[in-house]
Amino acid sequence: MIKKADIVLFLVILITGLAVSVVSLGDSAEGDNVVVTVDNEVYGIYPLSEDRVIEVRQQGHTNNITIKDGVVSMTYSDCANQVCVNTRPIAKTNDSIVCLPNRVIVEITSDEGGEVDVITG
Amino acid sequence: MPSPKPKARTYALRTKRLALSAILAAMAMIFSYIEALIPLPVPIPGIKLGLANLVIVIAIYRLGFKYAFIINCVRILITGLLFTGLFGAIYSFAGGVLSIVVMYLLYRTGLFSMVGVSMAGGVFHNLGQLLVACLIMSNFKLMSYFAVLLFSGLISGILIGIVAAVLYDKLPHLNV
Repeated sequence: MIKKADIVLFLVILITGLAVSVVSLGDSAEGDNVVVTVDNEVYGIYPLSEDRVIEVRQQGHTNNITIKDGVVSMTYSDCANQVCVNTRPIAKTNDSIVCLPNRVIVEITSDEGGEVDVITG
Repeated sequence: MPSPKPKARTYALRTKRLALSAILAAMAMIFSYIEALIPLPVPIPGIKLGLANLVIVIAIYRLGFKYAFIINCVRILITGLLFTGLFGAIYSFAGGVLSIVVMYLLYRTGLFSMVGVSMAGGVFHNLGQLLVACLIMSNFKLMSYFAVLLFSGLISGILIGIVAAVLYDKLPHLNV
């Protein structure tokens, strides 16, 4: 039932996946700020160190983003799929929580020049 | 004088194909619905079994690319209208089109078994959805989900492929 080409394809996909994981996991660091983006525009930037609940209301949609003990989670969303609410809390740079139906993105950024482009000019 | 017999046979064949396509489209829709009803207990978005892909793989082998493609489009459009909303249908559509094209190309090479074809389909379905999500949100950081979705697509594709291969042999071989 399984042919040689299947195994080759399996290995190719597996190695690609591992390579992508290594690259994407490699550049995460402790974050400082929580950036909330709605519909491609920055809605607000909040320090990760202060506990608070951010209520994002736009175009009849509501999302509650909770910052507590240095981690951020989406605690409420009125979207249909609830994927964002089920996403694990985030704390490191390059982590994000995305609510596609409401077009809300929560990201973590760092105060230091974490961006490679800044350093290399 | 041309005999009417071959024409009648062509029409009968077309009707059979149409009926089989309709049955498969309805089945794919029901599978999508069942999947939406029973979410997998994982906290990562986009991970699902892809039961509907079972139907599409069998359609590619039984009816060819054209029918399988149309069955997939009908399924996505109807499930979009009924359950997930048209916005969700855009993602399904991108994933569905990319995965069916890749699956058909692999099938045409003749090198792969159903398991391999379905495995690639699962991975490329997730990739297509993720690419559209990146485009819509104009945020390529979303690609960090790629590794997770790649592995989930790989595993679910293999499982679906095994089921499809077993089913394909058991299904009655209609002359269509």
